[in-house]
Amino acid sequence: MKRPSGLGGWLKVILPWLLLAALLLLPVAGPSDNLIRLLFITAVWTTTSLGWNLLGGMAGQVSFGFAVFFGLGAYTTALLMHAGHSPYFGFAGGAAIAMLASYFIGLPTFRLRGPYFVIATIGVTEAVRVIMNNLDVTGGASGYRITEDKPFSALEHYYTAIAAAALAVLVSTFIANSKFGLALRAIKQDEDAAADLGVNPYTSKLWVHAIAAGLTGIAGGIYARRAAFFYPGDVFAFQTGISILLMPVIGGIGTVWGAVLGGVIFGTVEEELVVYFPNLHLLIYGSLLIAIILLEPDGLLGLLRRLFRLLRRKRGDPSSPDVDQVLWGRGRVEGREL
Amino acid sequence: MTKYFGGVAALKDVSFDIPAKQICGFIGPNGAGKTTLFSLITGAIRPSAGKVQFHGKDVTGMDAASLVKKGVARTHQIVRPFKAMTVLENVQLAVHYGRRAVARTHIARDHAMETLKLVGLDRKANTLASAISLGEQKRLEVARALATVPELLLLDEICGGLTGSETHAMMELLHRVREGGTTIMYVEHDMKAIMAVCDRITVLNFGQKLAEGKPEDIQNDKSVIEAYLGKSDFGGKKRA
Repeated sequence: MKRPSGLGGWLKVILPWLLLAALLLLPVAGPSDNLIRLLFITAVWTTTSLGWNLLGGMAGQVSFGFAVFFGLGAYTTALLMHAGHSPYFGFAGGAAIAMLASYFIGLPTFRLRGPYFVIATIGVTEAVRVIMNNLDVTGGASGYRITEDKPFSALEHYYTAIAAAALAVLVSTFIANSKFGLALRAIKQDEDAAADLGVNPYTSKLWVHAIAAGLTGIAGGIYARRAAFFYPGDVFAFQTGISILLMPVIGGIGTVWGAVLGGVIFGTVEEELVVYFPNLHLLIYGSLLIAIILLEPDGLLGLLRRLFRLLRRKRGDPSSPDVDQVLWGRGRVEGREL
Repeated sequence: MTKYFGGVAALKDVSFDIPAKQICGFIGPNGAGKTTLFSLITGAIRPSAGKVQFHGKDVTGMDAASLVKKGVARTHQIVRPFKAMTVLENVQLAVHYGRRAVARTHIARDHAMETLKLVGLDRKANTLASAISLGEQKRLEVARALATVPELLLLDEICGGLTGSETHAMMELLHRVREGGTTIMYVEHDMKAIMAVCDRITVLNFGQKLAEGKPEDIQNDKSVIEAYLGKSDFGGKKRA
């Protein structure tokens, strides 16, 4: 990793740790149950958002099929807990099963490119949901219930979710700065050219798919344990796959903190909007999404970056680009260069 | 080696050896099968008949990534830089995944920087690859291939669209690369360039080998002059 330079560079290094410290210390300040629940769900979604972002944002393989991993994480955790194992063993098992599934899903689908890959992932999700609906071991369509002997502890759930999100941030940052991350970015831009330099796009995609699936599986397990009851039409739903995909798109696709931002916004919107606008929350969410895709393809993080640069410009910082460039961007999204 | 596209023989019974540590040129009019030949060697397409051997081992149809690991790298006639990456990152990737497979990022970056110096792009290292000129992108294409540390380097029209001085610089670079022990297969339309730099030249026409030999022999070969250059003077305007 590069050494940070300047105030901005140090802030980038310090802020995440400050954020983590604040989240860990928050329970001391006696927050409401509601806030803890909100932060829990936000952390869960942030984890899936970061997971998806590895495959979809960095490697450019848009998958609609992450509900499969989320659901597998949920069910594996539940079944392992039912068999008397610790929930944490359950999360690890959920990650392992999700990774294994990602391998078998990836084997055929990564032979496909572009829209064909996207369509294949939709097909896989639907197939898995239908299978789970009819599987007796898991109670089929009527769902599964987790029972724990020890009393419910909102804080334990909270801390596991925060830990999972922190793990996802660490893994993402590590990959983004590694040679593997460089290869993924190359694959996103031109698979064949990457292969000409010795990168094997197929195995690279299988690997990143597995890592992404593992994180999503953990998130699924953590979600399921707190929810205590879930069913295939919920965790394996096509809509869950879409939600996981939309978070990094909203926040800023391909960037670690964009994916975090997306997860936070989705979590908040999902939990709060549904309270105030029970019938309209999806409409609001959808409108927000359309606005972002149309106006700022780099997501909210891209918007913030541009605002920040614009402010510096106003202050007369000569090193910042001119206003036109700041306002309209340049090379915002590949293939859409201005 | 033979390749049919439908009923058309793009290459028919073309066979040759590439001696190590030489620059072997391939020329021929458009559609002679030069690019097809390259694609066959680098595994992008499979031959309808025949074999590709490298160091006596069969590498027919082997995928590009594995070939790079074995020491065969290529450039493309139409450059394909990773535009959203810097020039340095483009080359760094090749150092990481090339034959040497350098794992550490800072070492790979140093290697990449050396390669960029070799092609004269070091001052553009931190520029986005989308923001450099075509001539620079051509050099970047060569730098990336070089950074994989190939034993056999296939260059497809690296001088197309370059100015005279840029072409000259490229020729000097090729000499240096060969002195480093790399074998080069070189396809080019620029006659001056290819005659100046190659040890041997193979002439293709309508998918068949027409002639093979030293540049001066090729220049005097009657069938080559007729097939390739028509009746006009050598070095004059050729079919583009």
